[in-house]
Amino acid sequence: MANRRVLVKRRKAVRNIRKITRTMQLIATARFQSAFSRAVATRPYTEKLAELAANLTRTTGGGSAHPLLTSRDQVRRSALITITSARGLCGGYNSNVLRSTLTHLEELEGRGIETDVHMVGKKGINYFSFIGRELAEERTDIDDRPRFDQIEPMANELIGRFTAGEIDAVHVAYMRFVSTSRQRPEVIQLLPLKQESRTDGFAASTTSVQYEFSPDPAQILDELLPATVRVRLFQCFNDAAVSEQVARMVAMKAATDSAEEMITSLTRQYNRARQTHITMELLDIVGGANALA
Amino acid sequence: MAGANSFHCSVVTPEEPVLECEATFVAFPSHDGEVGVLVNRAPLVHKMGIGQLRVEAVEGEAKAFFVDGGFAQMVDNRLTLLTEQAIPVDELSAEEARADLDEALGARASDEASFVERTKAIDRARAKLRLAPSG
Repeated sequence: MANRRVLVKRRKAVRNIRKITRTMQLIATARFQSAFSRAVATRPYTEKLAELAANLTRTTGGGSAHPLLTSRDQVRRSALITITSARGLCGGYNSNVLRSTLTHLEELEGRGIETDVHMVGKKGINYFSFIGRELAEERTDIDDRPRFDQIEPMANELIGRFTAGEIDAVHVAYMRFVSTSRQRPEVIQLLPLKQESRTDGFAASTTSVQYEFSPDPAQILDELLPATVRVRLFQCFNDAAVSEQVARMVAMKAATDSAEEMITSLTRQYNRARQTHITMELLDIVGGANALA
Repeated sequence: MAGANSFHCSVVTPEEPVLECEATFVAFPSHDGEVGVLVNRAPLVHKMGIGQLRVEAVEGEAKAFFVDGGFAQMVDNRLTLLTEQAIPVDELSAEEARADLDEALGARASDEASFVERTKAIDRARAKLRLAPSG
């Protein structure tokens, strides 16, 4: 008797949970779409900037002497930006990013490099305070809609410290969005800038144009490289936002599915218990009638 | 679409492409003055300054934006303006610009970087104030 009531109660609870997870899945889907279109919208700027940079470096003859491009022989201190989410319930999203962060930190520590960790997102901050590590900076104001004017000061500060020689390298740990079915945690080097080997059509198509530069190419490059750093960091944030929503979508879909499974099995258990009860009562009645007859 | 006397103009910020259109004339703020671009302009790469960008499109009326630095590239009758901020002039508010200006003027510059930052902030606020619709 009691067993049946417990089953009904549990089924009700699981149904409510399913309702919640399904709603969260739908919300994540909607957010994913808007985050994705935002991430795509940054692409034209990035591509154009890369094209210009490639052009200029060629005109200035290499340009590898620029401080933002030169990697230093001896790295003593570095900075790491880790992008995590503000909210949970997104599967392994945060733990994956944090794991790659720790691996990266351990590797640097092994080489005797001190690292300032700039943590974005409440989850990462909580984790680091849990394991008792110091953070150089904690940011919780950047949500899943990063704006360029939030990222810009952060990038500028790092560029400033890098050029001043306070830090010798800057890395970013985030969840890279490859496709909707694939995201992987990555640690990329933001500074010194790595020149991408261009395999696409840009370089070939614009080689012969004689541009009129104002001011001279070297000075334009001086402005262009920091802009490249800023937009690259901005892209990391956008990627992270998209990945977070995908991770939440997947996690909530799995939760909804397993809730459904649980409801089926609970219903089955309940029906069986009910049937057993009825059979027992019938047996009682039949037995009683037989005894009387 | 592109006529004999129009060229393609696109204004792009990191957040989104702001404008894609065919234009007959574009004037953008360069780092040392204003540059006007007509069709068949020789290829150029300029560093942009802070100020007003005007675009005379083939269709519709002329558009004006506040832009904050960036780069301009003209090649093959395609003008690309990369800027970190492009705000349509009628979305600027004189009050906000004035507040920004006051704040920038009140800021103390202690070293070279902060001095440059302060000068830029003042320029930015003044340009916004100049462009903002009055009243």
